[in-house]
Amino acid sequence: MSSLLEVSELRVEHQSRPIVDGVDLVLERGEALGLAGESGCGKTTTALSVMKLLPSALTQSGTITLRPPGVDEPINIGKRTEAGMQRVRWRHVSLVFQGAMNSLDPVQRLDAQIAEAIRLHEPRAGAKEVRERIAELLKTVGLTADLGRRYAHQLSGGQRQRVMIALALACRPSVVIADEPTTALDVVMQAQVLELLERLREQLGLALILISHDLGVLAETCDRIAVMYAGRIVETGPVSSVFEDPQHPYTKRLLDSLPVIGGARGLAAPIPGGPPDPGDLPAGCRFRPRCPYAAEKCLQDPPLREVRPGQAAACHFAPWSEWPQTAATEARVSR
Amino acid sequence: MEVRDLAVQFRARGRVCRALDGVSLEWKRGEILGVVGESGCGKSTLARAMLGVVDSAAGEVALDDRPVNGKASLGELRRRVQMIFQDPYQTLNPRQRVEAIVTEPLVVQGVARGEHDERVRSALGDVGLEPERYLTRYPHQLSGGQRQRVAIAAALVLEPEGLICDEPVSMLDASVRAQILTVLVELQRRRELALLFITHDLSLAWSLCDRIAVMYLGRIVEQGSAVDVIERPGHPYTQALVTAVPVPEAGGRERREALTGELPDATDIPSGCRFHPRCPKRFEPCDRVDPPLLDADGRGQLAACLLHDSTLTGAEGRAGTGAVNE
Repeated sequence: MSSLLEVSELRVEHQSRPIVDGVDLVLERGEALGLAGESGCGKTTTALSVMKLLPSALTQSGTITLRPPGVDEPINIGKRTEAGMQRVRWRHVSLVFQGAMNSLDPVQRLDAQIAEAIRLHEPRAGAKEVRERIAELLKTVGLTADLGRRYAHQLSGGQRQRVMIALALACRPSVVIADEPTTALDVVMQAQVLELLERLREQLGLALILISHDLGVLAETCDRIAVMYAGRIVETGPVSSVFEDPQHPYTKRLLDSLPVIGGARGLAAPIPGGPPDPGDLPAGCRFRPRCPYAAEKCLQDPPLREVRPGQAAACHFAPWSEWPQTAATEARVSR
Repeated sequence: MEVRDLAVQFRARGRVCRALDGVSLEWKRGEILGVVGESGCGKSTLARAMLGVVDSAAGEVALDDRPVNGKASLGELRRRVQMIFQDPYQTLNPRQRVEAIVTEPLVVQGVARGEHDERVRSALGDVGLEPERYLTRYPHQLSGGQRQRVAIAAALVLEPEGLICDEPVSMLDASVRAQILTVLVELQRRRELALLFITHDLSLAWSLCDRIAVMYLGRIVEQGSAVDVIERPGHPYTQALVTAVPVPEAGGRERREALTGELPDATDIPSGCRFHPRCPKRFEPCDRVDPPLLDADGRGQLAACLLHDSTLTGAEGRAGTGAVNE
């Protein structure tokens, strides 16, 4: 069976600076894929490419194929016109944007905003049907129907994020892309929204692409994870393998530097420096200047290759059976 | 520094919002203290009230056992205790160069001009920014992590004894976050600087703090050593917060057990224990009796929960906690 969504050789450039540089992704029906990485690594750009919502200053190449259930012809997103994309967005693939508070219309009641999305795709739906659908959607995301009569500013951050998710589900898509859906929320609201997403996956058979810089969020919610660095995927695999036994020094150092509740106290040595500027990328491996294990062969670009069953890493030295201690990795501030 | 029964109220549309409702807290010399809780629980208001940025309705703030009241003592407090904020994008004046930003506190506190240059350079050096490269830059020429470093340098230039950090890293990426935290902890060691971390990130509080205070709806509901509070929480709210934290480990997904509902409105605080409407462990008296902070086993870990009141549970000491910890 072919996959629900396939992204292959995706490249996005801004004035010939590569923002996304050869990304391949596969998403199966009902699967949750996590996209991890720091600001500027290309996570959001990848999501926007799938929706074909990139600003016009960016050029996009590569193929993105969507095969929604019940649709015979695969949808080639790259070839779709804007009018054609409007029939795909929300109907087959929805995006929950970062920062829910800013993406709702402040001067329109919430139910009117949801109704707008439904009517756009189903112009024949009657007023009563639309009303019922809205009530059902709000219930699905754990809100009461009367909240629909309110305005965005009358809701808490967690409630607004739930409305955004209801909006994304309005036309029953098979894929939802959630871009940092919990970043603006505190732990309790975050746990509630993550639980909601998990429940929706089970109930509606949704496939989910979850974008987050918070590896803990991805560990709890996703089946597979792809770690991006400077426009490329540097490691991908099942969540259990990547978190238990990372195969790229970037993933390894990132995981080591995170504080884990109940784990060792203190701070691990941080990764020095910052990610490279897309206009001034280092030769060879892009993580090389920050990598404690960099060697001469790292001046050659490492391909993303399978190093353990189901797990791929873009590192010449993978598979790593052990991580040598160096001065840079040992400097732990204990408490 | 010490805070005793501090209360802060705001008036909104004729209603009184009890943002801080009787908070007592001790912050020792050289200590790293964490104040954790959900958005809206009053953590930031506490920090502001401690520095006299908002007026308190009741209670007092004391420095070295001397109450802070009046202009002179407030001036001294603000010289000895500084604060940095969450958003390094908004707290730096975009029209000032780094040099002017870091010099300003010295001007405000009337430090002799001749010392300015040396102190500014040394503060920048302490946060890992080479003075030659950064003195003449504007905030927009800096990354988020560099901006937060400048904010820390500006706070440190007066050589304070305490630094209140209000969500200092929550806007930053993982690798930059670790760098900034390392800078703060090294400063704490080298200068015996006391740090007060206000954060909703319990993993952060766990890894850095000596003690943790948990706030809920304007009150401290639990406090104790970081290890005690996280490993054996005495309040059901702390317990819920700890389980809500996502863990970046394979198999972490089984741990979540979300608290239902949202933080109630601070203009309409529930009767009895303010956590009772959301509490999975509530029992009969919880909607009537407002629990004081109780030290159930004499180890100094305080929790405001009736489960620790043996006259109500009919058991001894921490018997109730067994139920909480399961």
